[in-house]
Amino acid sequence: MIAGLRRVLRGIREHLYFFAVSTGVIASALVLLGLFAMVVRDVNDMVASWQADQHVSAYFAAGVTPEVEAQVQALISQRREVAKVELVTSADAATWMTAKAPDVAPVLKELGPDALPASLEITLQPDDTSPERMSAFVQSLKATASPGAATGTLWEDVDYGQDWVARVHTFLSLLEALGVAFGIATVVATLFLVANTIHLVVHARQDELAILRLVGATERYIIGPFIAEGVLQGLIGGAMATGVLYGIHEGLLVRLHNLLALAMGTPPTFLPGAQVVVLVGTGVALGAGAAWGAVRRFLAGLP
Amino acid sequence: MIRLYHIVKSYGEHDALRDVSVHVEKGEFIYITGPSGAGKSTLLKILYGAEKPSSGKMLVGGLDVTTLDRERVAQLRRNMGIVFQDFKLLPRRTVADNVALALEVVGAPREQIERRVPAALNIVGLKGRETSLASHLSGGEQQRVAIARAIVNDPAVLLCDEPTGNLDGGMAVEVIEILQAIHRRGTTVLVATHDQGLMNRFPKRILRLQDGKLSSTEAPKRRSLAPNGDGRG
Repeated sequence: MIAGLRRVLRGIREHLYFFAVSTGVIASALVLLGLFAMVVRDVNDMVASWQADQHVSAYFAAGVTPEVEAQVQALISQRREVAKVELVTSADAATWMTAKAPDVAPVLKELGPDALPASLEITLQPDDTSPERMSAFVQSLKATASPGAATGTLWEDVDYGQDWVARVHTFLSLLEALGVAFGIATVVATLFLVANTIHLVVHARQDELAILRLVGATERYIIGPFIAEGVLQGLIGGAMATGVLYGIHEGLLVRLHNLLALAMGTPPTFLPGAQVVVLVGTGVALGAGAAWGAVRRFLAGLP
Repeated sequence: MIRLYHIVKSYGEHDALRDVSVHVEKGEFIYITGPSGAGKSTLLKILYGAEKPSSGKMLVGGLDVTTLDRERVAQLRRNMGIVFQDFKLLPRRTVADNVALALEVVGAPREQIERRVPAALNIVGLKGRETSLASHLSGGEQQRVAIARAIVNDPAVLLCDEPTGNLDGGMAVEVIEILQAIHRRGTTVLVATHDQGLMNRFPKRILRLQDGKLSSTEAPKRRSLAPNGDGRG
């Protein structure tokens, strides 16, 4: 164990430049992966906020009593696809409208307390926000009969912003395809970058491999220190990448938050601890795996 | 000690070795000679498992080594010292570290390494040079470090592929004298060389190869006093 550790440290000391280059390349590759993970995370937050904005506004017809409105709210809130139902009374609607557009306040006052219809603002479960499902929900909502002894039309109008929903879903499909393509490209670039760098580093040490073989070293004996160096490179590279990503997050993304917030609705967030661990673990796996592959390939060609 | 039976080694159409059968007894010192391309290095490579014969059989200490896998080849090499024309040292390491390499791969404890490395360096006349970097040594000194590394494990067999090929006459003589000293300690030594002068000066049994075929086996002659027998070959 101690002898093995000594061999690892000696290998690093003798080839410090190569060790630094390998570590730097792993760190760069992890920054690339980490940036991708951060973008995916922020886009997911953005999509979630968009989806939360998708809701159905069901306006009660004139003459529907507050008791019936409350009964209908309770009825709809029990449906599986409904996440949240909020009752907006005529007075609430007038207050909201007055706050948004003070100029219309006198007109509303003139029209009386029931100028704006009461409504239910219905938020659906995330899985039920596709254009097809929302349309189906709206159709079933329109067909809802008045509870109890009430008769007549329940709704004046049911609106869910059909055009907006369709556009959001088209955009999300495109975003998903781009995400997959960019993700694959990032992973391939990362693997290519790290594998080729470590291959070149091992190539530069091929005399050492050949000599070890000639004095009777087993493959395990030869490969072991290279894998240990790869693990160390991955750990150091992972720590460096985390630092760089945090710097990018704090120095760039957070400062751009005011601009981004308009489009995203949510502030950019740094990778959670679990994802940082995965990032460093990926670095360790990359370093060790690339070293193992490169040394194995060279040993296969040695007598 | 070493038995070769009808060894053939082919590279495509070319036969590097053709039906070579040799018996090497324990404690022998043998030159393998012949012109360039005669098959000297190929024969040595087969002996240390770097090449597998196309046909034939080779026994080392009774063990058939023609079918060994890579792991067993590594074990075989731990019982053999190998010396090359180009020394094959790690230039960034010290003399002691280069020699210790052969002990480290067999997992020798540190105290054993500290005891045996200076002893091996003493045999090759490099005592006191332990901390010198290999790259700072002359060619002759580097070859002596390579020999020390080859013998530090006290191997039964020492294989030398043109060990004097990169050295001038005086250093070549020194290297052969060191090999003779190692041989006197009981090690079987096989030296591939085309240096006729050295073979005349230090006469031993000679296996002569010609176009991959063993053309003759010559018993040791008396030491030559001819003018070209000064080891400058």
